[in-house]
Amino acid sequence: MTSTSSPPGLHRLNRRRLFGGAAGLAAATFLAGCGGPAAAREAGPPRPGGVLRVGVTGGGASDTLDPHSPAANPDIARTLNLYEPLLHWDDAYTLQPAVAEAVRAEPDARAWTATIRAGITFHDGRPVTPDDVVASFRRMLDPDDPKAPASQLGIVDDIVVAGDREVRFVLSEPSPVFDQYLGEYNTGIVPADFDVENPIGTGAFRFESWNPGQQSAFVKHEGYWRPDEPYVDRLELINFSEDDARINALLSGQVDAIDQVPLSLTEVVGSYESIKLLTSETGAWLPITMRVDVEPFDDVRVRQALRLIAGREQMVNQVLSGLGTPAVDLYARFDPEYLDPRREQEIERARELLSAAGRPNLSLELVTSPIQAGTVEAAQVYATQARAAGVDIGLRRVDTSTFFSDQYLQWEFAQSFWNTRNYIPQAAQSSMPEAPFNETHWDDAEYQAVIRRARSEVDATARAALVRQAQEIEFDRGGYLIWGFPDRVDAHQAYVGGLTPNRTGLSLSGYEFRKAWVNA
Amino acid sequence: MSAVQMSTLTSPMARMIGRRLLLSVLVLFVVSILVFGATLLLPGDPARAILGQQATPERVAALTEQLGLDRPVWERYFSWLGGILTGDLGFSAATQGPVSELLGGRIAASGLLLVLTALISTPIALALGAWAAVRRGTRTDSVLSGSSLVLAALPEFVIGVLLVVLLATSVLQILPSVTIARPGEPVWTRPEQLVLPVLTLALVVIPYVVRMTRATLSEALDAGFVEMARLKGLPERTVLMRHAVPHTIGPVAQVFALQLAWLAGGVVVVEFLFRYPGIGEALIDAVANRDVQVVQAITLIIAAFYVLVNLAADVAGILADPRIRTSSGVDA
Repeated sequence: MTSTSSPPGLHRLNRRRLFGGAAGLAAATFLAGCGGPAAAREAGPPRPGGVLRVGVTGGGASDTLDPHSPAANPDIARTLNLYEPLLHWDDAYTLQPAVAEAVRAEPDARAWTATIRAGITFHDGRPVTPDDVVASFRRMLDPDDPKAPASQLGIVDDIVVAGDREVRFVLSEPSPVFDQYLGEYNTGIVPADFDVENPIGTGAFRFESWNPGQQSAFVKHEGYWRPDEPYVDRLELINFSEDDARINALLSGQVDAIDQVPLSLTEVVGSYESIKLLTSETGAWLPITMRVDVEPFDDVRVRQALRLIAGREQMVNQVLSGLGTPAVDLYARFDPEYLDPRREQEIERARELLSAAGRPNLSLELVTSPIQAGTVEAAQVYATQARAAGVDIGLRRVDTSTFFSDQYLQWEFAQSFWNTRNYIPQAAQSSMPEAPFNETHWDDAEYQAVIRRARSEVDATARAALVRQAQEIEFDRGGYLIWGFPDRVDAHQAYVGGLTPNRTGLSLSGYEFRKAWVNA
Repeated sequence: MSAVQMSTLTSPMARMIGRRLLLSVLVLFVVSILVFGATLLLPGDPARAILGQQATPERVAALTEQLGLDRPVWERYFSWLGGILTGDLGFSAATQGPVSELLGGRIAASGLLLVLTALISTPIALALGAWAAVRRGTRTDSVLSGSSLVLAALPEFVIGVLLVVLLATSVLQILPSVTIARPGEPVWTRPEQLVLPVLTLALVVIPYVVRMTRATLSEALDAGFVEMARLKGLPERTVLMRHAVPHTIGPVAQVFALQLAWLAGGVVVVEFLFRYPGIGEALIDAVANRDVQVVQAITLIIAAFYVLVNLAADVAGILADPRIRTSSGVDA
């Protein structure tokens, strides 16, 4: 749900990490039998009070409290607890009311009206007014300093106060799925006089103090609108740039929960009685990207051959330790119209296609980078599979900062990472010529016509048919090789309750710690 | 003592120390050029690294100009060097604030690790080394020498990981495995969190000093002047403390200085492993973020520390060496 990717700098010092991790793993496995932890204390029924300490991956000196431009995971976690958008993606990835109690389209879908929830207040006790909502969106769309959601909100022509609790969005084109953008976590509602030095929102927790790159502390928002929530009195988010340190902090009881257990370590961590793993199926996807406007990927047969080379089950098993679902070159698996077609590994067919394209002994360079757990391993496994089809893939490994440098979006054969989205919003981010992150330079006239019609089609049945048609085109000739949807695996102490599997791709129940309680 | 005698006594020494000082300044100047040049070679650009994938061309352009990245290299180098010489360490692109503000608390935190490690490891290492030397050839000696050899061969992160497994997570859970300080709280408010990082660094430093102490002291104990002292009938304790040990101060001080200097670099890995909020962690973060001025400042601080400690060791060596100390010759 961020525009993609984990931020640069998530996985650092990789030689060291590899050795340290391997040594730690070996030692932990060896010693696991020596001293079993004391009997686990269970979470039990929901209970108020206590402190929740959470270790979050990534972050650094550039940490921010800005509601509209979170980048690293700790930024996202802070955003989700301090602020709330008009709507909210729940655990099942369906859209629910949040700051707005309702958001309705006008019949032609050229304008939408949001009704602010009655009685909802900011952390300082002031009620949320239509002026605050208008100011929040003006802040995101500020032409001098456009924030992260600005690209997806590009169709907003005007935002006006339309009643005591109503705000009207006037769009430049009909958009029957506009509400999906209002559920993105980076569109939080803040007071009209918002200042990032005094970060006020409507979220379940109120800002207390922080030390950028290290830790941030929050206290319960007493006037929160959801009944009984939040349960804990105090929330502490602690940055961890290193996987081993984060896991060690959980094992030694210094934190109550951590996000992102490396998939190779889930068994070790899960073997502790006092620790519970939280595994979530997600719609996040890890593609290999082929730029369709350069040789040899401009030949659709080459793209098709490279897609047929991928043994997707094997990649999920080897790269994700089986914790994921194979994908078949289409994203948006939780979209109601997801096609879910089949595509098996067909080495012979791939060879034929490559011969037909006049490239029987193809030699390629794949740019890989640890932008997300599993990307480098995926490149390695895929390169091995390609050898069977006579395709020689050399790996060029770069660090994350280099990957997302000005060469990002220029790489010819590389990788990427995206979180859960439905089909039309995702296409607007990555598959249209005006998309901010069109990694494959996909520029297919027929596809674009279908998407343009789909995104303004008010009739749901007709729109569904168009979305399916667009998927068929992308399945046949797109530039993405999508091999899997990785599960998200997090871990928490057994005495922490309320954290449920979540499809958004964000860790720890979507970082919504209002849901959690501690039996401490 | 007349003035003439005084000057003949001190001038070769003073000149030597002066020469070392000048050399140190020169080394630091070269280091500053290397550091600056190396950060230019880092792939990727700071503006994009900070903005992440959310970087729109307008935001990148604005930040590039703000960071002065569009100015010529030489201009940037001299304005940076000028800043360093006047105590201005530069501007952190990541925090949008002065580098000194970012590093202030962190230098104190890393310094605390260094000082604690030095205070704990020095007496232990010297005592163990002396013990092994006095008992050279016995089983005590071979056990000490063997285990220090094994420890010396282990990299710091392996020692750190093993200590965590033993004392914090898998076997015993008696110590915290990472450092977590609440906002505004200095690291020393929870001293138990300092144990594992200090222990790791100490275990890395001790073996070298033990081995060096043992070697130089053994050599001294076998030397003619010690034999002479024994033959004069002095008690063994006096022989050891008055005659043999002073002889080892120079070389041991050198090794000790090298170890301290190494520590300044070693804290980078140890801080990373234990999530300790010192300059090492800041350095790793800054490299990943392409926060160039922070990288330059920290590297230069570590280099300056290295040079200073080595200078101090040289001076200690000079002062401890009676041939130089008492020499009145032209050349030393």
